[in-house]
Amino acid sequence: MVCNTIRDILLQTEAKFGDKDAVRYKVGKDSIESKTYSQLRQDSEHFSGALKEMGMQGKHVAVIGATSYEWILTYLGIVNCGSVAVPLDVALPPQEICELLNRADVSVLVYDEIRADVAAMAKEACPNLVKIISMQKKETEGNVLSLHKLLAESENGFDEWANPEELCTIMFTSGTTGKSKGVMLTQRNLAENATCLDMKIPSRTVILSVLPIHHAYCLSMDILKGLSLGSIICINDSPMRMAKNIHLFGPDMILMVPMMIETFAKKLEDAAALPPEMVKKQVFGDRLHTICSGGAYLNPAWITLFEKYGITILQGYGMTECAPVISTNLDWNKKLGSVGRLMPNCTAKVVDEELWVKGSSVMQGYYKMPEETKETLTEDGWLRTGDLGYVDEDNFIFLTGRKKNLIITSNGENVSPEEIENALSENRLVQEVLVRETGGVIEAEVFPDMEYAKNHGITDVKAGLKSIVDSYNKDAVAYKKVAALKVRDTEFEKTAARKIKRF
Amino acid sequence: MLEKLKEIILNYVEVEPEAVTPEARFMEDLGFTSFDFMSMLGEIEDTFDVMIDQQETADIRTVQEAVDYLEKLTA
Repeated sequence: MVCNTIRDILLQTEAKFGDKDAVRYKVGKDSIESKTYSQLRQDSEHFSGALKEMGMQGKHVAVIGATSYEWILTYLGIVNCGSVAVPLDVALPPQEICELLNRADVSVLVYDEIRADVAAMAKEACPNLVKIISMQKKETEGNVLSLHKLLAESENGFDEWANPEELCTIMFTSGTTGKSKGVMLTQRNLAENATCLDMKIPSRTVILSVLPIHHAYCLSMDILKGLSLGSIICINDSPMRMAKNIHLFGPDMILMVPMMIETFAKKLEDAAALPPEMVKKQVFGDRLHTICSGGAYLNPAWITLFEKYGITILQGYGMTECAPVISTNLDWNKKLGSVGRLMPNCTAKVVDEELWVKGSSVMQGYYKMPEETKETLTEDGWLRTGDLGYVDEDNFIFLTGRKKNLIITSNGENVSPEEIENALSENRLVQEVLVRETGGVIEAEVFPDMEYAKNHGITDVKAGLKSIVDSYNKDAVAYKKVAALKVRDTEFEKTAARKIKRF
Repeated sequence: MLEKLKEIILNYVEVEPEAVTPEARFMEDLGFTSFDFMSMLGEIEDTFDVMIDQQETADIRTVQEAVDYLEKLTA
Protein backbone atom coordinates (compact mmCIF):
# COMPACT_ATOMS: atom_id res chain seq x y z
CA MET A 1 0.00 0.00 0.00
CA VAL A 2 1.32 3.45 -0.91
CA CYS A 3 -0.03 6.07 1.49
CA ASN A 4 0.23 9.82 1.08
CA THR A 5 -0.63 10.81 4.65
CA ILE A 6 0.56 9.45 7.96
CA ARG A 7 -3.00 9.04 9.19
CA ASP A 8 -3.67 6.80 6.20
CA ILE A 9 -0.79 4.54 7.31
CA LEU A 10 -2.16 4.25 10.83
CA LEU A 11 -5.79 3.69 9.85
CA GLN A 12 -5.04 1.11 7.17
CA THR A 13 -2.94 -0.92 9.57
CA GLU A 14 -5.44 -0.59 12.39
CA ALA A 15 -8.12 -1.99 10.11
CA LYS A 16 -6.05 -5.17 9.77
CA PHE A 17 -4.36 -5.51 13.15
CA GLY A 18 -6.41 -3.32 15.54
CA ASP A 19 -6.25 -5.65 18.55
CA LYS A 20 -2.66 -6.72 17.95
CA ASP A 21 0.42 -5.18 19.58
CA ALA A 22 1.86 -2.12 17.88
CA VAL A 23 4.42 -1.03 20.49
CA ARG A 24 6.16 -3.01 23.22
CA TYR A 25 8.32 -1.41 25.89
CA LYS A 26 10.07 -2.26 29.12
CA VAL A 27 8.71 -1.45 32.53
CA GLY A 28 11.22 -1.86 35.35
CA LYS A 29 14.12 -4.23 34.83
CA ASP A 30 12.65 -6.78 32.46
CA SER A 31 8.85 -6.71 32.33
CA ILE A 32 7.23 -5.88 29.02
CA GLU A 33 4.06 -3.88 28.46
CA SER A 34 2.40 -3.24 25.13
CA LYS A 35 -0.14 -1.09 23.31
CA THR A 36 -2.28 -2.25 20.43
CA TYR A 37 -2.82 -0.52 17.10
CA SER A 38 -6.29 0.53 18.24
CA GLN A 39 -4.95 2.02 21.47
CA LEU A 40 -2.28 3.90 19.54
CA ARG A 41 -4.81 5.25 17.04
CA GLN A 42 -7.19 6.25 19.83
CA ASP A 43 -4.52 7.88 22.05
CA SER A 44 -3.04 9.80 19.12
CA GLU A 45 -6.51 10.99 18.09
CA HIS A 46 -7.17 12.14 21.64
CA PHE A 47 -3.97 14.15 21.50
CA SER A 48 -5.04 15.63 18.14
CA GLY A 49 -8.36 16.50 19.78
CA ALA A 50 -6.60 18.06 22.77
CA LEU A 51 -4.46 20.26 20.50
CA LYS A 52 -7.59 21.36 18.66
CA GLU A 53 -9.43 22.13 21.90
CA MET A 54 -6.46 24.24 23.06
CA GLY A 55 -6.56 26.17 19.79
CA MET A 56 -3.19 24.73 18.78
CA GLN A 57 -4.27 22.89 15.63
CA GLY A 58 -1.94 23.86 12.77
CA LYS A 59 0.71 25.25 15.13
CA HIS A 60 4.27 24.02 15.54
CA VAL A 61 4.63 21.47 18.34
CA ALA A 62 8.07 20.33 19.53
CA VAL A 63 8.61 16.91 21.04
CA ILE A 64 11.70 16.00 23.01
CA GLY A 65 12.53 12.76 24.76
CA ALA A 66 13.94 9.29 24.36
CA THR A 67 11.90 6.81 22.30
CA SER A 68 8.73 5.93 24.20
CA TYR A 69 5.09 5.09 23.57
CA GLU A 70 4.25 8.64 24.65
CA TRP A 71 6.69 10.08 22.10
CA ILE A 72 5.15 8.07 19.28
CA LEU A 73 1.53 8.89 20.14
CA THR A 74 2.45 12.56 20.55
CA TYR A 75 4.11 12.67 17.14
CA LEU A 76 1.14 10.96 15.46
CA GLY A 77 -1.32 13.21 17.30
CA ILE A 78 0.54 16.30 16.10
CA VAL A 79 0.91 15.43 12.42
CA ASN A 80 -2.50 13.76 12.06
CA CYS A 81 -4.33 16.95 13.00
CA GLY A 82 -2.47 19.14 10.53
CA SER A 83 -0.03 20.54 13.06
CA VAL A 84 3.72 20.56 12.48
CA ALA A 85 5.92 18.31 14.62
CA VAL A 86 9.41 19.49 15.53
CA PRO A 87 11.32 16.48 16.92
CA LEU A 88 14.39 17.58 18.88
CA ASP A 89 17.60 15.84 19.92
CA VAL A 90 17.21 14.74 23.54
CA ALA A 91 20.96 15.11 24.12
CA LEU A 92 21.33 18.80 23.22
CA PRO A 93 22.14 21.40 25.88
CA PRO A 94 19.06 23.37 27.02
CA GLN A 95 20.23 26.66 25.50
CA GLU A 96 20.55 25.09 22.07
CA ILE A 97 17.11 23.52 22.37
CA CYS A 98 15.55 26.84 23.32
CA GLU A 99 17.23 28.47 20.34
CA LEU A 100 15.71 25.80 18.06
CA LEU A 101 12.28 26.24 19.69
CA ASN A 102 12.45 29.93 18.87
CA ARG A 103 13.79 29.44 15.35
CA ALA A 104 11.07 26.89 14.55
CA ASP A 105 8.29 29.15 15.93
CA VAL A 106 7.18 26.47 18.34
CA SER A 107 3.95 27.14 20.26
CA VAL A 108 3.70 23.88 22.22
CA LEU A 109 6.46 21.84 23.85
CA VAL A 110 5.87 18.20 24.79
CA TYR A 111 8.77 16.91 26.87
CA ASP A 112 9.99 13.81 28.65
CA GLU A 113 10.78 14.50 32.32
CA ILE A 114 14.41 13.52 31.68
CA ARG A 115 14.55 16.99 30.05
CA ALA A 116 12.69 18.90 32.74
CA ASP A 117 15.61 21.38 32.53
CA VAL A 118 14.49 22.30 29.01
CA ALA A 119 10.91 22.94 30.11
CA ALA A 120 12.15 25.13 32.97
CA MET A 121 14.44 27.18 30.73
CA ALA A 122 11.95 27.42 27.84
CA LYS A 123 9.37 29.15 30.06
CA GLU A 124 11.71 32.16 30.20
CA ALA A 125 13.70 31.84 26.99
CA CYS A 126 10.92 31.06 24.50
CA PRO A 127 8.35 33.87 24.44
CA ASN A 128 6.28 32.24 21.67
CA LEU A 129 5.70 29.09 23.69
CA VAL A 130 2.03 28.94 24.75
CA LYS A 131 1.72 25.44 26.23
CA ILE A 132 4.15 23.06 27.94
CA ILE A 133 3.12 19.41 28.32
CA SER A 134 4.89 16.74 30.37
CA MET A 135 4.82 13.16 29.11
CA GLN A 136 4.93 11.70 32.63
CA LYS A 137 3.20 14.07 35.08
CA LYS A 138 -0.15 12.72 36.25
CA GLU A 139 -1.62 16.12 37.09
CA THR A 140 -1.22 19.69 35.90
CA GLU A 141 1.52 21.44 37.91
CA GLY A 142 1.59 25.22 37.66
CA ASN A 143 1.50 25.93 33.96
CA VAL A 144 2.81 22.49 32.96
CA LEU A 145 0.06 20.25 31.60
CA SER A 146 -0.10 16.47 31.90
CA LEU A 147 -0.19 14.50 28.64
CA HIS A 148 -2.02 11.62 30.31
CA LYS A 149 -4.64 13.97 31.72
CA LEU A 150 -5.11 15.66 28.35
CA LEU A 151 -5.70 12.26 26.72
CA ALA A 152 -8.18 11.24 29.40
CA GLU A 153 -10.07 14.53 29.22
CA SER A 154 -10.15 14.86 25.44
CA GLU A 155 -13.69 13.64 24.95
CA ASN A 156 -13.88 14.01 21.23
CA GLY A 157 -12.05 11.80 18.86
CA PHE A 158 -10.56 13.32 15.77
CA ASP A 159 -11.79 12.66 12.27
CA GLU A 160 -10.12 15.10 9.92
CA TRP A 161 -7.59 14.42 7.20
CA ALA A 162 -4.43 16.41 6.68
CA ASN A 163 -3.55 17.56 3.18
CA PRO A 164 -0.74 15.40 1.70
CA GLU A 165 1.08 18.51 0.49
CA GLU A 166 1.01 20.20 3.89
CA LEU A 167 4.13 20.68 5.99
CA CYS A 168 3.98 18.17 8.83
CA THR A 169 7.49 17.86 10.30
CA ILE A 170 10.53 20.09 10.72
CA MET A 171 13.67 18.08 11.44
CA PHE A 172 16.88 19.83 12.38
CA THR A 173 20.07 18.75 10.72
CA SER A 174 23.58 20.17 11.04
CA GLY A 175 24.74 22.49 8.32
CA THR A 176 28.14 23.45 7.00
CA THR A 177 27.64 27.00 8.20
CA GLY A 178 27.60 25.70 11.75
CA LYS A 179 23.93 26.62 12.14
CA SER A 180 21.55 23.68 12.06
CA LYS A 181 18.87 23.76 9.38
CA GLY A 182 15.19 22.86 9.77
CA VAL A 183 14.28 20.43 7.00
CA MET A 184 10.61 20.91 6.04
CA LEU A 185 8.87 17.63 5.21
CA THR A 186 5.28 17.21 4.07
CA GLN A 187 2.82 14.41 4.78
CA ARG A 188 3.50 12.99 1.31
CA ASN A 189 7.31 13.24 1.72
CA LEU A 190 7.25 11.03 4.81
CA ALA A 191 4.30 8.75 4.08
CA GLU A 192 5.43 7.83 0.57
CA ASN A 193 9.02 7.33 1.65
CA ALA A 194 7.85 4.84 4.25
CA THR A 195 5.40 2.98 2.02
CA CYS A 196 6.45 3.19 -1.64
CA LEU A 197 8.88 0.26 -1.58
CA ASP A 198 7.65 -3.28 -0.96
CA MET A 199 10.59 -4.81 0.90
CA LYS A 200 8.62 -8.07 1.26
CA ILE A 201 8.86 -7.82 5.03
CA PRO A 202 6.07 -9.95 6.54
CA SER A 203 3.49 -8.20 8.69
CA ARG A 204 3.90 -8.76 12.43
CA THR A 205 7.68 -8.63 12.04
CA VAL A 206 9.26 -7.79 15.39
CA ILE A 207 11.46 -4.68 15.11
CA LEU A 208 13.74 -3.45 17.88
CA SER A 209 14.08 0.34 17.63
CA VAL A 210 17.54 1.35 18.85
CA LEU A 211 18.31 4.64 17.05
CA PRO A 212 17.51 8.16 18.29
CA ILE A 213 13.89 8.82 17.32
CA HIS A 214 14.45 12.47 16.34
CA HIS A 215 16.51 11.23 13.39
CA ALA A 216 14.68 10.86 10.09
CA TYR A 217 16.06 7.34 9.58
CA CYS A 218 14.54 6.03 12.81
CA LEU A 219 11.31 7.98 12.57
CA SER A 220 10.66 6.99 8.99
CA MET A 221 11.95 3.42 8.87
CA ASP A 222 11.43 2.08 12.40
CA ILE A 223 8.24 3.91 13.22
CA LEU A 224 6.35 4.89 10.05
CA LYS A 225 7.43 1.91 7.96
CA GLY A 226 7.02 -0.36 10.98
CA LEU A 227 3.46 0.90 11.46
CA SER A 228 2.66 0.50 7.76
CA LEU A 229 3.71 -3.16 7.90
CA GLY A 230 1.72 -3.93 11.03
CA SER A 231 4.99 -4.65 12.83
CA ILE A 232 5.56 -4.96 16.54
CA ILE A 233 7.85 -2.05 17.37
CA CYS A 234 9.88 -2.78 20.49
CA ILE A 235 11.59 0.08 22.27
CA ASN A 236 15.20 -0.26 23.34
CA ASP A 237 15.30 1.73 26.59
CA SER A 238 19.02 2.52 26.35
CA PRO A 239 21.96 1.87 24.03
CA MET A 240 23.55 0.36 27.13
CA ARG A 241 21.03 -2.44 27.20
CA MET A 242 20.79 -3.29 23.52
CA ALA A 243 22.46 -6.71 23.88
CA LYS A 244 20.11 -7.59 26.75
CA ASN A 245 17.04 -6.22 24.99
CA ILE A 246 17.73 -8.31 21.90
CA HIS A 247 17.20 -11.37 24.09
CA LEU A 248 14.25 -9.85 25.92
CA PHE A 249 12.23 -8.79 22.85
CA GLY A 250 13.50 -11.34 20.30
CA PRO A 251 13.48 -9.06 17.24
CA ASP A 252 13.50 -10.27 13.63
CA MET A 253 14.95 -7.03 12.36
CA ILE A 254 16.94 -4.05 13.67
CA LEU A 255 17.90 -0.78 12.01
CA MET A 256 21.44 0.18 12.96
CA VAL A 257 24.15 2.64 12.14
CA PRO A 258 27.62 1.29 11.21
CA MET A 259 29.15 2.03 14.61
CA MET A 260 26.74 -0.47 16.20
CA ILE A 261 27.42 -3.06 13.54
CA GLU A 262 31.15 -2.69 14.15
CA THR A 263 30.75 -3.36 17.87
CA PHE A 264 28.84 -6.56 17.12
CA ALA A 265 31.38 -7.48 14.43
CA LYS A 266 34.18 -7.33 16.98
CA LYS A 267 32.27 -9.78 19.18
CA LEU A 268 31.77 -12.11 16.24
CA GLU A 269 35.46 -11.97 15.35
CA ASP A 270 36.43 -12.76 18.94
CA ALA A 271 34.21 -15.84 18.80
CA ALA A 272 35.36 -16.97 15.35
CA ALA A 273 36.53 -20.36 16.65
CA LEU A 274 33.10 -21.28 18.06
CA PRO A 275 30.21 -22.81 16.04
CA PRO A 276 28.32 -20.00 14.22
CA GLU A 277 24.85 -21.24 15.33
CA MET A 278 25.88 -21.02 18.98
CA VAL A 279 27.45 -17.59 18.60
CA LYS A 280 24.45 -16.27 16.69
CA LYS A 281 22.07 -17.42 19.40
CA GLN A 282 24.19 -15.91 22.12
CA VAL A 283 24.76 -12.55 20.43
CA PHE A 284 21.56 -12.02 18.42
CA GLY A 285 19.00 -14.36 19.95
CA ASP A 286 16.93 -16.92 18.07
CA ARG A 287 15.09 -14.77 15.57
CA LEU A 288 17.20 -11.91 14.24
CA HIS A 289 17.76 -12.27 10.52
CA THR A 290 17.99 -8.76 9.06
CA ILE A 291 19.89 -5.60 9.92
CA CYS A 292 19.25 -2.45 7.89
CA SER A 293 22.23 -0.10 7.90
CA GLY A 294 22.21 3.59 7.11
CA GLY A 295 23.49 6.95 8.25
CA ALA A 296 27.15 6.45 7.40
CA TYR A 297 29.60 4.37 5.37
CA LEU A 298 29.59 0.67 6.21
CA ASN A 299 32.64 -1.49 5.70
CA PRO A 300 31.48 -4.17 3.18
CA ALA A 301 33.55 -6.76 5.09
CA TRP A 302 30.94 -6.72 7.85
CA ILE A 303 28.21 -7.71 5.38
CA THR A 304 30.18 -10.83 4.47
CA LEU A 305 31.04 -11.58 8.10
CA PHE A 306 27.41 -11.35 9.26
CA GLU A 307 26.26 -13.62 6.42
CA LYS A 308 28.22 -16.43 8.07
CA TYR A 309 25.90 -16.08 11.04
CA GLY A 310 22.74 -16.08 8.95
CA ILE A 311 22.21 -12.33 9.22
CA THR A 312 21.63 -10.18 6.17
CA ILE A 313 22.80 -6.58 6.33
CA LEU A 314 20.91 -4.33 3.92
CA GLN A 315 22.90 -1.19 3.28
CA GLY A 316 20.88 1.88 2.35
CA TYR A 317 21.46 5.55 1.70
CA GLY A 318 19.52 8.68 2.40
CA MET A 319 19.41 12.11 3.93
CA THR A 320 16.89 13.99 6.04
CA GLU A 321 16.20 16.26 3.06
CA CYS A 322 14.78 13.22 1.26
CA ALA A 323 12.59 11.97 4.13
CA PRO A 324 15.15 10.18 4.25
CA VAL A 325 15.65 7.01 2.15
CA ILE A 326 17.04 7.48 -1.37
CA SER A 327 18.16 3.92 -2.06
CA THR A 328 18.44 0.55 -0.40
CA ASN A 329 19.74 -2.90 -1.07
CA LEU A 330 17.21 -5.69 -0.77
CA ASP A 331 17.76 -9.32 0.09
CA TRP A 332 16.90 -10.39 -3.45
CA ASN A 333 18.24 -7.33 -5.21
CA LYS A 334 21.59 -6.12 -3.93
CA LYS A 335 25.09 -5.27 -5.05
CA LEU A 336 28.12 -5.34 -2.79
CA GLY A 337 29.76 -1.92 -2.61
CA SER A 338 26.55 -0.16 -3.61
CA VAL A 339 24.29 1.77 -1.25
CA GLY A 340 21.34 0.18 -3.01
CA ARG A 341 18.79 0.64 -5.71
CA LEU A 342 16.89 3.91 -6.05
CA MET A 343 13.52 4.03 -4.32
CA PRO A 344 10.56 3.78 -6.73
CA ASN A 345 9.51 7.36 -5.93
CA CYS A 346 12.93 8.75 -6.75
CA THR A 347 14.96 9.56 -9.87
CA ALA A 348 18.62 10.48 -9.93
CA LYS A 349 21.22 12.07 -12.16
CA VAL A 350 24.84 13.04 -11.83
CA VAL A 351 25.87 16.65 -12.37
CA ASP A 352 29.59 17.49 -12.17
CA GLU A 353 30.12 14.17 -10.33
CA GLU A 354 27.54 15.18 -7.69
CA LEU A 355 24.45 13.04 -7.22
CA TRP A 356 21.14 14.87 -7.66
CA VAL A 357 17.77 13.31 -6.79
CA LYS A 358 14.16 14.21 -7.43
CA GLY A 359 10.87 12.71 -6.32
CA SER A 360 7.96 12.77 -3.91
CA SER A 361 10.20 12.54 -0.85
CA VAL A 362 12.28 15.63 -1.57
CA MET A 363 11.75 18.31 1.11
CA GLN A 364 10.03 21.63 0.65
CA GLY A 365 13.17 23.47 1.77
CA TYR A 366 14.87 24.68 4.94
CA TYR A 367 12.63 26.52 7.38
CA LYS A 368 13.18 30.27 7.06
CA MET A 369 16.47 29.78 5.22
CA PRO A 370 15.80 30.79 1.61
CA GLU A 371 19.49 31.12 0.70
CA GLU A 372 20.39 27.65 1.96
CA THR A 373 17.27 26.25 0.28
CA LYS A 374 18.31 27.78 -3.03
CA GLU A 375 21.78 26.27 -2.69
CA THR A 376 20.34 22.81 -2.13
CA LEU A 377 17.17 22.68 -4.27
CA THR A 378 17.04 23.65 -7.93
CA GLU A 379 14.02 25.54 -9.27
CA ASP A 380 12.76 22.40 -10.99
CA GLY A 381 12.89 20.31 -7.83
CA TRP A 382 16.28 18.53 -7.94
CA LEU A 383 18.00 18.01 -4.61
CA ARG A 384 21.77 18.41 -4.69
CA THR A 385 22.88 15.69 -2.28
CA GLY A 386 26.43 16.94 -1.79
CA ASP A 387 27.60 13.36 -2.35
CA LEU A 388 29.84 12.31 -5.19
CA GLY A 389 28.89 9.12 -6.97
CA TYR A 390 27.21 7.45 -9.90
CA VAL A 391 24.15 5.42 -10.79
CA ASP A 392 24.61 2.19 -12.75
CA GLU A 393 22.38 0.76 -15.49
CA ASP A 394 20.22 -1.07 -12.90
CA ASN A 395 19.61 2.12 -10.90
CA PHE A 396 22.03 1.11 -8.14
CA ILE A 397 23.87 4.00 -6.49
CA PHE A 398 27.60 3.94 -5.79
CA LEU A 399 29.07 6.71 -3.65
CA THR A 400 32.65 7.82 -4.08
CA GLY A 401 33.00 10.68 -1.63
CA ARG A 402 31.46 13.56 0.24
CA LYS A 403 31.31 16.92 -1.39
CA LYS A 404 30.46 18.95 1.62
CA ASN A 405 32.73 19.43 4.60
CA LEU A 406 30.17 18.02 6.97
CA ILE A 407 31.54 15.22 9.07
CA ILE A 408 29.24 12.22 9.30
CA THR A 409 30.48 10.27 12.29
CA SER A 410 30.36 6.49 12.14
CA ASN A 411 27.20 6.46 14.25
CA GLY A 412 25.45 8.72 11.78
CA GLU A 413 25.58 11.99 13.67
CA ASN A 414 26.28 15.10 11.63
CA VAL A 415 29.01 17.35 12.90
CA SER A 416 29.79 20.68 11.42
CA PRO A 417 33.58 21.17 11.62
CA GLU A 418 33.18 24.95 11.45
CA GLU A 419 31.13 24.90 14.62
CA ILE A 420 33.96 23.23 16.57
CA GLU A 421 36.62 25.33 14.88
CA ASN A 422 34.78 28.47 15.91
CA ALA A 423 34.54 27.32 19.51
CA LEU A 424 38.24 26.43 19.74
CA SER A 425 39.30 29.64 18.01
CA GLU A 426 37.76 31.68 20.79
CA ASN A 427 41.01 31.11 22.68
CA ARG A 428 43.86 33.32 21.51
CA LEU A 429 46.41 30.54 21.72
CA VAL A 430 44.65 28.98 18.72
CA GLN A 431 45.73 30.92 15.65
CA GLU A 432 44.34 28.53 13.05
CA VAL A 433 42.41 25.32 13.41
CA LEU A 434 40.99 22.67 11.14
CA VAL A 435 38.61 19.99 12.36
CA ARG A 436 38.19 16.75 10.47
CA GLU A 437 37.39 13.09 10.95
CA THR A 438 40.46 10.87 11.13
CA GLY A 439 40.36 7.15 11.87
CA GLY A 440 36.76 7.35 13.05
CA VAL A 441 37.30 10.15 15.56
CA ILE A 442 37.11 13.92 15.42
CA GLU A 443 40.54 15.47 15.22
CA ALA A 444 41.51 19.11 15.59
CA GLU A 445 44.72 20.27 13.98
CA VAL A 446 45.94 23.52 15.46
CA PHE A 447 48.54 26.06 14.45
CA PRO A 448 49.22 27.86 17.72
CA ASP A 449 49.96 31.55 18.13
CA MET A 450 53.52 31.24 19.46
CA GLU A 451 53.84 34.96 20.09
CA TYR A 452 50.78 34.91 22.30
CA ALA A 453 52.24 31.92 24.15
CA LYS A 454 55.53 33.77 24.69
CA ASN A 455 53.84 36.94 25.90
CA HIS A 456 51.68 35.03 28.33
CA GLY A 457 54.38 32.76 29.73
CA ILE A 458 52.92 29.60 28.23
CA THR A 459 55.93 27.31 27.98
CA ASP A 460 54.14 24.03 27.24
CA VAL A 461 52.03 24.99 24.22
CA LYS A 462 50.74 21.48 23.60
CA ALA A 463 49.47 21.24 27.19
CA GLY A 464 47.85 24.65 26.79
CA LEU A 465 46.06 23.54 23.63
CA LYS A 466 45.03 20.28 25.26
CA SER A 467 43.40 22.15 28.10
CA ILE A 468 41.49 24.30 25.56
CA VAL A 469 40.23 21.12 23.89
CA ASP A 470 39.37 19.56 27.26
CA SER A 471 37.43 22.63 28.26
CA TYR A 472 35.49 22.57 24.95
CA ASN A 473 34.84 18.82 25.38
CA LYS A 474 33.43 19.33 28.86
CA ASP A 475 30.29 20.99 27.50
CA ALA A 476 30.10 19.37 24.07
CA VAL A 477 27.59 16.65 23.13
CA ALA A 478 29.36 13.25 23.03
CA TYR A 479 29.49 13.03 19.25
CA LYS A 480 30.96 16.52 18.93
CA LYS A 481 33.83 15.91 21.32
CA VAL A 482 37.34 16.29 19.93
CA ALA A 483 39.24 13.04 20.54
CA ALA A 484 42.57 13.81 18.90
CA LEU A 485 44.75 16.90 18.84
CA LYS A 486 47.49 17.56 16.33
CA VAL A 487 49.78 20.56 16.66
CA ARG A 488 51.50 21.95 13.58
CA ASP A 489 54.40 24.36 13.38
CA THR A 490 53.53 25.98 10.05
CA GLU A 491 50.47 27.84 8.85
CA PHE A 492 47.83 25.96 6.87
CA GLU A 493 47.88 26.28 3.12
CA LYS A 494 45.35 28.95 2.05
CA THR A 495 43.07 29.53 -0.90
CA ALA A 496 43.16 32.76 -2.90
CA ALA A 497 40.52 34.11 -0.55
CA ARG A 498 42.84 33.34 2.40
CA LYS A 499 40.64 30.56 3.59
CA ILE A 500 42.27 27.40 4.89
CA LYS A 501 42.29 24.67 2.24
CA ARG A 502 40.34 21.85 3.78
CA PHE A 503 41.64 18.94 1.76
CA MET B 1 37.20 -3.68 41.01
CA LEU B 2 39.87 -2.37 38.64
CA GLU B 3 40.88 -5.90 37.62
CA LYS B 4 37.29 -6.96 36.92
CA LEU B 5 36.67 -3.80 34.93
CA LYS B 6 39.90 -4.35 33.02
CA GLU B 7 38.65 -7.77 31.93
CA ILE B 8 35.43 -6.24 30.63
CA ILE B 9 37.25 -3.39 28.87
CA LEU B 10 39.44 -5.88 27.00
CA ASN B 11 36.29 -7.45 25.51
CA TYR B 12 35.62 -4.20 23.64
CA VAL B 13 38.97 -2.91 22.43
CA GLU B 14 42.11 -4.47 21.11
CA VAL B 15 44.79 -3.01 23.36
CA GLU B 16 47.54 -4.54 25.46
CA PRO B 17 46.31 -5.21 29.03
CA GLU B 18 49.06 -2.88 30.30
CA ALA B 19 47.44 -0.01 28.41
CA VAL B 20 44.39 -0.21 30.68
CA THR B 21 45.74 2.00 33.44
CA PRO B 22 43.60 4.02 35.86
CA GLU B 23 44.52 7.20 33.96
CA ALA B 24 43.69 5.80 30.51
CA ARG B 25 40.86 7.63 28.78
CA PHE B 26 38.25 5.39 27.16
CA MET B 27 37.92 7.18 23.85
CA GLU B 28 41.21 8.96 23.36
CA ASP B 29 43.63 6.35 24.76
CA LEU B 30 41.80 3.02 24.51
CA GLY B 31 39.95 3.65 21.23
CA PHE B 32 36.39 3.18 22.50
CA THR B 33 33.56 4.43 20.31
CA SER B 34 30.59 5.91 22.14
CA PHE B 35 28.59 2.79 21.31
CA ASP B 36 31.35 0.48 22.62
CA PHE B 37 31.23 2.46 25.85
CA MET B 38 27.44 2.17 26.11
CA SER B 39 27.55 -1.56 25.43
CA MET B 40 30.21 -1.97 28.10
CA LEU B 41 28.00 -0.19 30.64
CA GLY B 42 25.29 -2.76 29.85
CA GLU B 43 27.74 -5.58 30.52
CA ILE B 44 28.80 -3.89 33.77
CA GLU B 45 25.15 -3.77 34.87
CA ASP B 46 24.94 -7.55 34.45
CA THR B 47 28.33 -8.36 35.95
CA PHE B 48 27.92 -6.22 39.06
CA ASP B 49 24.13 -6.51 39.26
CA VAL B 50 23.58 -2.75 39.38
CA MET B 51 21.31 -0.29 37.55
CA ILE B 52 23.22 2.46 35.80
CA ASP B 53 21.67 5.84 35.09
CA GLN B 54 23.04 6.77 31.68
CA GLN B 55 23.00 10.48 32.48
CA GLU B 56 25.28 9.94 35.46
CA THR B 57 27.90 8.35 33.23
CA ALA B 58 28.22 11.32 30.89
CA ASP B 59 31.28 12.69 32.73
CA ILE B 60 33.19 9.41 32.94
CA ARG B 61 36.27 9.69 30.77
CA THR B 62 38.97 7.61 32.48
CA VAL B 63 39.15 4.08 33.84
CA GLN B 64 39.62 5.43 37.36
CA GLU B 65 36.48 7.55 37.07
CA ALA B 66 34.57 4.41 36.04
CA VAL B 67 35.98 2.52 39.02
CA ASP B 68 34.99 5.37 41.37
CA TYR B 69 31.48 5.43 39.93
CA LEU B 70 31.11 1.67 40.28
CA GLU B 71 32.39 1.67 43.83
CA LYS B 72 29.80 4.28 44.71
CA LEU B 73 27.07 2.17 43.07
CA THR B 74 28.04 -1.05 44.82
CA ALA B 75 28.71 0.55 48.21
